[in-house]
Amino acid sequence: MQNNNVNITVVRKQTGQPHAGKVFAAVHAHQSDVPHYAAGLCARLMAEGYTGYLIRTTNDEKSGRGSIAENILSNEQEQLKMAGVLGFKDVFDLYYRSHFMDAIAAVEIQSRLVLLFRMLKVDTVITYNPAAQGDDDSDRVVTAHAAQEAAWMAGQDHDFPEHFEAGFQPHDVLERYFLCAQPGQPFNRVVDISAHIDRKVDALAQCKSQGGGNGGSLLRARLEREQKRLPILGDNDQTADREYIRQFLLDDSREAGKPYTLAYAERFYYVDQRQPSRSKVDDYVEKHAVRL
Amino acid sequence: MKRREWLGGSVAGGLALGGMAAFAQTPGRPRSDLPAKFAPSAFAVPSTKYSPFTTPDYYTYADDLVVERNRPGKPHAGKVLAAIQAHSDDIPLFAAGTVAKLIDEGYTAYLIRLSNDEAAGRTLGYGVVQNELDNQNAAKALGCKKAYSFYYRNHRMDDCAMIEIRSRLIFLFRMLQVNTVVCMDPYNHYDENPDHIIAGKAVEGACWMSGSARDYAEHYKAGLKPARIREKYYFARSPQGHNLVNRVVDISTYIDTKVRVNMANKGKGPAGSAGARLRQELLQQGKKLPLLGEDDEAANFQYVKFFLMADHHLFGQQFGCEYAEAFRYIGTEPNYVDNIRKYAAEHAVPA
Repeated sequence: MQNNNVNITVVRKQTGQPHAGKVFAAVHAHQSDVPHYAAGLCARLMAEGYTGYLIRTTNDEKSGRGSIAENILSNEQEQLKMAGVLGFKDVFDLYYRSHFMDAIAAVEIQSRLVLLFRMLKVDTVITYNPAAQGDDDSDRVVTAHAAQEAAWMAGQDHDFPEHFEAGFQPHDVLERYFLCAQPGQPFNRVVDISAHIDRKVDALAQCKSQGGGNGGSLLRARLEREQKRLPILGDNDQTADREYIRQFLLDDSREAGKPYTLAYAERFYYVDQRQPSRSKVDDYVEKHAVRL
Repeated sequence: MKRREWLGGSVAGGLALGGMAAFAQTPGRPRSDLPAKFAPSAFAVPSTKYSPFTTPDYYTYADDLVVERNRPGKPHAGKVLAAIQAHSDDIPLFAAGTVAKLIDEGYTAYLIRLSNDEAAGRTLGYGVVQNELDNQNAAKALGCKKAYSFYYRNHRMDDCAMIEIRSRLIFLFRMLQVNTVVCMDPYNHYDENPDHIIAGKAVEGACWMSGSARDYAEHYKAGLKPARIREKYYFARSPQGHNLVNRVVDISTYIDTKVRVNMANKGKGPAGSAGARLRQELLQQGKKLPLLGEDDEAANFQYVKFFLMADHHLFGQQFGCEYAEAFRYIGTEPNYVDNIRKYAAEHAVPA
């Protein structure tokens, strides 16, 4: 994978709950995106004290083997199960029509995310990289921009002031983890997810309408029809799906960890906008202020 | 071609409630070249021509038109009204009497302005600031509990995403638990100002969706409740306005409040300090107009009442009111299911 940023931070295993009291929102367009690109991070952050919320912007109507209506239902229900497996506290679906999000008024999507960020007091957002190139999926591009802009606006005291009256004050979203959702997208942080890989497998296994979560059971059924079996797929569909995921869908996670001797990792472009507690002005005043 | 009075037989029945005699006796009624075989469907509204921003040039009337008069006591106690306007002078000019009446009858009211009114002022900056203040003062003069401003750019609201405006209104309607709205008719014909139409359409959609369980479901997780908006008062703008009128509201008791609300509009509209300016102008010429009184405050009040409310007086006289405002009113829907059940209960026979 190409990466122009040489300052890569490797976030290795840590103990305790360093993030206790903090809140993150994982914002994705399609129900299988967070599982594929950030399930390990989400599981890890929640294990380290974060409260996590999952926000899906589309209705995923184009993904699945059913009719458009059936796809909306199956993706909705699978996402709920996936979020439960990963430990998210709540799930929000905005249900914009899948693949058509570039026709939605950006400001309306922003306004909904601003309300959610304020209401949930989100400190950290996990979403696609709005500056990254190479993604054909316009829903991801639109979601990335809306989430980034909403993260900024949520802290402003003149944007959507009616929220304040409803009890939701401006709230800064100062940390961002941007996904590496396509080869070649930039990253500056590699997060060790080895301890959480089973959660990631479980999460992916819920993504049956899209994301390959039922690839194992489908392959097992096909082989059965051909009077064959693949020993790694085990003796039931559940095992087949999990083992299929381990065998075929975790290559990126293994690849990301390899240079740092990590069994599994995920890559992100991490942005930290938290200000130091002491400013440059504070330092200057301390050095140069004289008594009156 | 036989000329005839611009008064159709079809409207006569509808006006019986409010004073047919007064309508027929209104002086200076326009003559029409409309042949007798045609029944007119729109009716010219009499005007003093003192200001373009009073009553519209035409109305069409429903045959079940109601004149809404003062209601004793507080029949609307516990109910919430949102008066929504694109610009700081819309509600003051076209509906302030009705809003004041409804507040007096028990409503808690909120004034919501959608634009920033930047197009009216010495510079855009001055215009925005003055109109922001005016909106607050108009709300105070009306007796509203609070005023909101969304600050969309003036005269450019057709470039805004309707869905976003609507979503903000839904949020407010749910938060404030609005029951009744007063705003520009979304189907007003010949309105030159795109902000009015956008405002009307956004409100119309928001009214319906505010009660929906599925639209913006995140609001419910935020603790908001669906808003059941059962009553709507839609007004037309002037001078080019043309909407269907089925309710004429007698605002005679509230005309002075309407005058004061318009006086609060200093940044735009025909009222504000116009009386004081005319008084000063005359003084510089060594003259005075007795009706303007002896000070600027009196001059502003009298100017608005005498010149700008005159068309509401002319209009009201047609319906037996001293002053009136006109609306397309949409009220509470019948309980259709209950009606069918009632029928079933009355007509069901043993099986």
